[in-house]
Amino acid sequence: MENLTVKPRVIELPRPESVPCPYNESYTTDVLVIGCGFAGLNAAVSAKLGGAEVLVMDKGRPGYSGLSPWPSSFRWFDPERGDREEAYMAAIREGGDYVSNLAWYKCWIDESKGIFERLTDWGILAQYPKASEAGDFFEKEDFWGYRATYDRLDRHKKWIATLERYEIPFLEHTMAADLLTKDGAVCGAVALHVPSGATITVRAKAVLLATGGGSYKPTGYPVGTDTFDGEYMAWKLGLPIAGKEYEDFHSTSNNAPGNVFYDNHWQYLENIWLCGGDVSEKNASEYASNKGNIMALGRVRGAVYGVAKSDGSEIQDVATANYTRRGGSQVYESDPEELRSGKMSTPVGRSDLAGAATGMCCHLTSGVFCGFEVRNDVPGMPGLFVAGDGTHCTAPSGAAYPCGVGFTSCFCSIDGDHAGKAAAAWVRGKELASADEEQIEAKLAEISAPLQREKGFDPNWARDVLHSIMAPYWVSVAKTEPTLRAALTQVEYMRDNVVPKLAAASSHDLRLCMEVRHKVLSAELKLRASLFRAESRGTHYRADVPYRRDEDYLCAVTLRQGESGIELEKHPVPDEWTGESSAAYTDRYHYYFPGEGKAKGFTPPKTNWGGKRG
Amino acid sequence: MSVVRIDLNRCIGCENCVNICPMDVFYFNAEAHKSVIAYPENCQSCGQCFLNCKGRALGISNDLYAFPITAFRGASSAPMNRVLITEPGVIGEFTKGKLP
Repeated sequence: MENLTVKPRVIELPRPESVPCPYNESYTTDVLVIGCGFAGLNAAVSAKLGGAEVLVMDKGRPGYSGLSPWPSSFRWFDPERGDREEAYMAAIREGGDYVSNLAWYKCWIDESKGIFERLTDWGILAQYPKASEAGDFFEKEDFWGYRATYDRLDRHKKWIATLERYEIPFLEHTMAADLLTKDGAVCGAVALHVPSGATITVRAKAVLLATGGGSYKPTGYPVGTDTFDGEYMAWKLGLPIAGKEYEDFHSTSNNAPGNVFYDNHWQYLENIWLCGGDVSEKNASEYASNKGNIMALGRVRGAVYGVAKSDGSEIQDVATANYTRRGGSQVYESDPEELRSGKMSTPVGRSDLAGAATGMCCHLTSGVFCGFEVRNDVPGMPGLFVAGDGTHCTAPSGAAYPCGVGFTSCFCSIDGDHAGKAAAAWVRGKELASADEEQIEAKLAEISAPLQREKGFDPNWARDVLHSIMAPYWVSVAKTEPTLRAALTQVEYMRDNVVPKLAAASSHDLRLCMEVRHKVLSAELKLRASLFRAESRGTHYRADVPYRRDEDYLCAVTLRQGESGIELEKHPVPDEWTGESSAAYTDRYHYYFPGEGKAKGFTPPKTNWGGKRG
Repeated sequence: MSVVRIDLNRCIGCENCVNICPMDVFYFNAEAHKSVIAYPENCQSCGQCFLNCKGRALGISNDLYAFPITAFRGASSAPMNRVLITEPGVIGEFTKGKLP
């Protein structure tokens, strides 16, 4: 024992007792944009260019907040480079299990090239050599040297640069808590500046929610800032929320579960890879079923049966990993004009463990449901606009994510662009609603209520309890009616007995209390939607009903707060999007859930189900 | 699964961590002109603070890792939970099997 050395513990300095708030107590504007990722940034600029006065609010710092700091790729459709609409449409229709919104997908076909040019102009898509080919940064793990070399091209700082370029003011580290309404229309929001604890009121002619989706607890995927904030605010207004039953497919590393940095470090520092051009008439169906295998079945099998071998040999040496390009154009090698190389990131640890973002829904499937049309205003709620992943149910990629890497960063930008234009058009000629002081006071009091409680539950404890209820694979991956019902009982108990008694000791805790409130609601919606959709489709797998039920579920499922409780509703997907209904089951679907062949009376082919990524 | 302080003396007070952290983990002690890891329990281990720390005063620990949906995995696959990412080379050493 004499050789034992103990490193001294570094004691942190005390947290300052008070932090000044750099912002005013109240603001007025034409359009308030809440959340500033790809959707919010594009919305803010488009609203501004549309002639509106815009104010942006973000829970963190734009460019470093939510999921938008993290995309590895960006894909666009380019007919001049040989992309064919019919092929892409066929792949998305089949791969999305026939519930894809093809009107929104068509927007990607038509507008993604313009968005590529816009983001290039803003510097967000600047290209530079990857770490393993730029010197010895990779060998030496010299993150700082690599960053310093390409610092001026770093995309994260382009968010604020773009806001400044268009002279759009923003409030950072400010969490929107609730929306203000007057005469049945949205007219602003109340918010918390988290570091100082100051409350802020914004009166606006229109509010645009672009708050992302969420997760109960991020365990290897950097979704921690996103906590269903927009979903909660919309829910309180009685608006329909769709797509909650579809699950996220991101994974983490077996040997460092829960460590986002280990999973993502080089991807964060490197450029966003340019993708697309990988679907043709010839490979459309195969492309769709391959994606289904990876996104849906890879996740199911990986979570239920595990991936790593018992001898530990699955731990991969990143230095020798052979990472091939993914999602790149088929003509990239032969056409010097082709920019879409595909994703070729410097290797990081292998993602071999499913479910790194418990509670997150499959990209673009969930959020406020505005119907199947291309629109960002919310029917029945004037003054409110929605955009982006997890906030606006656009579902261009249906029940799974068969669109290839880099789709979400591009599509959210398109969605945001639409929303910003719509909001700017809406506010034109409108007057600002007069302030309802009583309502504002009540909503501000609600923000700080957890600080007033002498006793109550710690929000971090509540978060962990919720995660423990929702994370097990029998609740979130291989769902069954009894396991979903058991979880729902627990979540309802938290809703009724824990959420009203959350207590805060600081403004930091106030943020956490609101986040837990949103997570508990979101969990309830997810469980109810998962029970309601008594079939398996895309990223929603019901182990007790392991097959598609086209006759009942070629629809979106929405939940809303009705007068007599939660109302669930089916919205049939337009017939022309649902494929050939008379086709044989095995012609219609080309990848199969565990148990599907047995239930439907056929022998499924053996497939490589995509458990090995990268 | 959390940011840790390697050396408070190295903190130059640039406030990058305070401004960049999306999880409100960091505060700034103006008197001492140094950042404070105030709420490490809310760190999501994204490492944006670590990568943008001008003084290299921070590290990423895997001590408090959290499990994803499942932890069904190989029995002998060594967890990385005693590894502290502070200096170059740690990740490579681990994945080559040189660290437990």
